[in-house]
Amino acid sequence: MNLDIEIDDNSFRLRARAWLRANLGVTSSDNIRHGGQTARKTATQWLAKCHAAGWSGVAWPREFGGQGLSPARLIIWYEEYTRARAPSALDCTFVGLNHAGPTLIACGSDTQKSFHLPRILSGKSIWCQGFSEPGSGSDLASLKTTGKVEDDMLVVNGQKIWSTCADLADYQELLIRTEPGSKRHRGLSWVICDMTLPGITVRPIENMAGVSHFAEVFYDDVRIPLSNVVGALHDGWNVAMTTLGFERKTAAIALQLELSVTVEDLITSAQAQPGTALSEQLADLRAEAAALRAMTYRAVLRDGGTPFDGSLIRLTFAELAQRIHRTAIDTLGAEALLDGPMVHDYLESYSETIAGGTAEIQRNIIAERILGLPREPRA
Amino acid sequence: MSFDLNQTEDQRQIHDACRAMLAEHYPLSRLRGPATAESLAPLVAFGAFAFALPEAHGGAGFTLLDEALLHVQLGRHLISPAALAAPIAARIALDNGQLEQAVKITEGQTSVSAMVKTKNGILLLGNGAAVLGIIRQHDTMQLIDISQVNRDRKAAMAQGQPIFAIASLPAPKSNNVAKAQTSQTAQILVSAQLLGVAEGARDLAVEYAKIREQFGRPIGSFQAIKHHCANMALGVEKLSAQLDMAAIAVGKQSEDAAFQTAALARIAPNVALENARICIQIHGGIGFSAEADAHLFLKQAHVLRQLIGQTDFLALPAPMAPTREDT
Ligand SMILES: Cc1cc2nc3c(=O)[nH]c(=O)nc-3n(C[C@H](O)[C@H](O)[C@H](O)COP(=O)(O)OP(=O)(O)OC[C@H]3O[C@@H](n4cnc5c(N)ncnc54)[C@H](O)[C@@H]3O)c2cc1C
Repeated sequence: MNLDIEIDDNSFRLRARAWLRANLGVTSSDNIRHGGQTARKTATQWLAKCHAAGWSGVAWPREFGGQGLSPARLIIWYEEYTRARAPSALDCTFVGLNHAGPTLIACGSDTQKSFHLPRILSGKSIWCQGFSEPGSGSDLASLKTTGKVEDDMLVVNGQKIWSTCADLADYQELLIRTEPGSKRHRGLSWVICDMTLPGITVRPIENMAGVSHFAEVFYDDVRIPLSNVVGALHDGWNVAMTTLGFERKTAAIALQLELSVTVEDLITSAQAQPGTALSEQLADLRAEAAALRAMTYRAVLRDGGTPFDGSLIRLTFAELAQRIHRTAIDTLGAEALLDGPMVHDYLESYSETIAGGTAEIQRNIIAERILGLPREPRA
Repeated sequence: MSFDLNQTEDQRQIHDACRAMLAEHYPLSRLRGPATAESLAPLVAFGAFAFALPEAHGGAGFTLLDEALLHVQLGRHLISPAALAAPIAARIALDNGQLEQAVKITEGQTSVSAMVKTKNGILLLGNGAAVLGIIRQHDTMQLIDISQVNRDRKAAMAQGQPIFAIASLPAPKSNNVAKAQTSQTAQILVSAQLLGVAEGARDLAVEYAKIREQFGRPIGSFQAIKHHCANMALGVEKLSAQLDMAAIAVGKQSEDAAFQTAALARIAPNVALENARICIQIHGGIGFSAEADAHLFLKQAHVLRQLIGQTDFLALPAPMAPTREDT
């Protein structure tokens, strides 16, 4: 392995820092993660600003309007971004920049790319993901929402759930069964769904932290042009899998760094006396966050690896995030019973081991795909 | 120690009646939507607050263990902490010779709330209209007249439990302090409710694991989920055994009562929080939503945890053998 952590590109760092300092009107503490139209406005205006100055799509190739940053520069950018307390990467632009965009780059037609990519980069269009269904979460391949081919149209019927930002989104990456009678991974298509089409109903769902950033989406004879299929018709599973690695790597840097900031903020606010149990606990969390950062940087900087390596980072992140937020509210004493930013983040952290593949599924992947243990029985 | 855990027919009947009363008046569905003050009238009518008080004091004369088992049921229904405050307040009144006050409390004429100290003040949990409040200061508890005290409604972490801030309390009077046994009894009843939370979370999760299917089979057939469920069962077993032990020790005022209660108070919140966490996890996406009940167990565990009060456990002598009264 050639691990060459060369992240001392100082002139680039200073350029990023100066720009962020001069242009950051909003910060991560703004209400951006709480959903709603205000959140959309804040997030998209900020992205438009980044875009105008050449800081949008940092990980996208240059030929598609991105910045094509090297892995080392990507790390520097996110370090400076987080240090400046810029808006969380997990806002409503997340799916477009980290998932839909890269999927279109990998599998989309020229028309799809030239229409959608600039809109994603500049914050003009917001995307959501419509994969999970009430009956198909961990077992995504059992999904039932259908798209019937009628001439040059797909007629979509069914239901998606847990679609984050579906109430704000212009487009949805929709995974549906297009080949009648097909089973499991076969016969699915990855489709660009315009959220304004007739027949679509979005019902926001409240989460346990009391906010509604995900939603149920119902499709009643929704007519989508066949030209909106990304990649080949009936080949949606492969299309969905192409971006697995991309999403997990770049998003991981931003998320990891945000977590490091949370730990440092907690150390500052807790004021633990040396030698107390709390100071020991905080020291452990800081060390764990450092190790997670090492894992993340190494994964980003080294060549090769498999898409499944992302599970190691994802799961370590998820469980560490939960420990950190739990420790944070433990420092509050009885004030933990009141609403507040730390309590909110604590409640939100319960999603870390569920969203994007549960902790149990990640452990199955690590055991089966990385360690080569026999597969669990499957349907 | 006579360790009689086998229920008599009387005990079985009263617990069955309690279950029916709770199912009728306190279904979990009442907790969806905005937090409102809980009516304690059905509990008063049931005699829940005088359950283990001596018959001479208007009580029903059941044992502390019986009362603890009643609170396990209350815990499963995520009842307002006011239902913990009342039986403890009545005991503090009796500790100080105020029989009339005690009767008013157990009969619901005088309302009581639980209070907890924060870094900057005091929070009142549950019933914002209460005229009495109980607060724990170090190892003792006090019953305080708060009828003249201003309170501000606060946004709470927990749906279902209204919460109020109080800037300061009137100066304590000498005749409002709980005896040690009452203070331990409070820890027993809070722990009993935490056990109820842990049991409720376990049952909800196990039921879901049996019916939710992924990959063509119930998720409970996956070992990962089975082990989660088994861990919840282990937590409940451990906690309920220690609850029995402590409730008997305190009921009889054995010499290890303080030790057993302190051990219980350390275990109870951890088991309840962990079972609630696993319950959410087993539910997947729906567990993270406000539409399933899983999160309610977590939030109630946080509330109860603040009420339990910790003692300096390591300072207590350890009983090397079970305390024997009847040797
Ligand atoms: C905050 C949040 C945001 C989300 N955003 C989106 C989104 O934008 N778009 C989208 O499409 N989806 C989204 N999801 C859905 C998410 O991908 C699913 O919740 C997740 O995949 C789990 O599926 P499920 O909820 O159906 O749980 P289930 O699959 O029913 O799982 C229930 C339990 O069973 C366990 N389990 C299942 N199968 C196995 C197995 N083989 N072995 C061991 N254990 C197993 C799980 O780990 C879990 O504990 C989001 C979820 C959350 C919580």
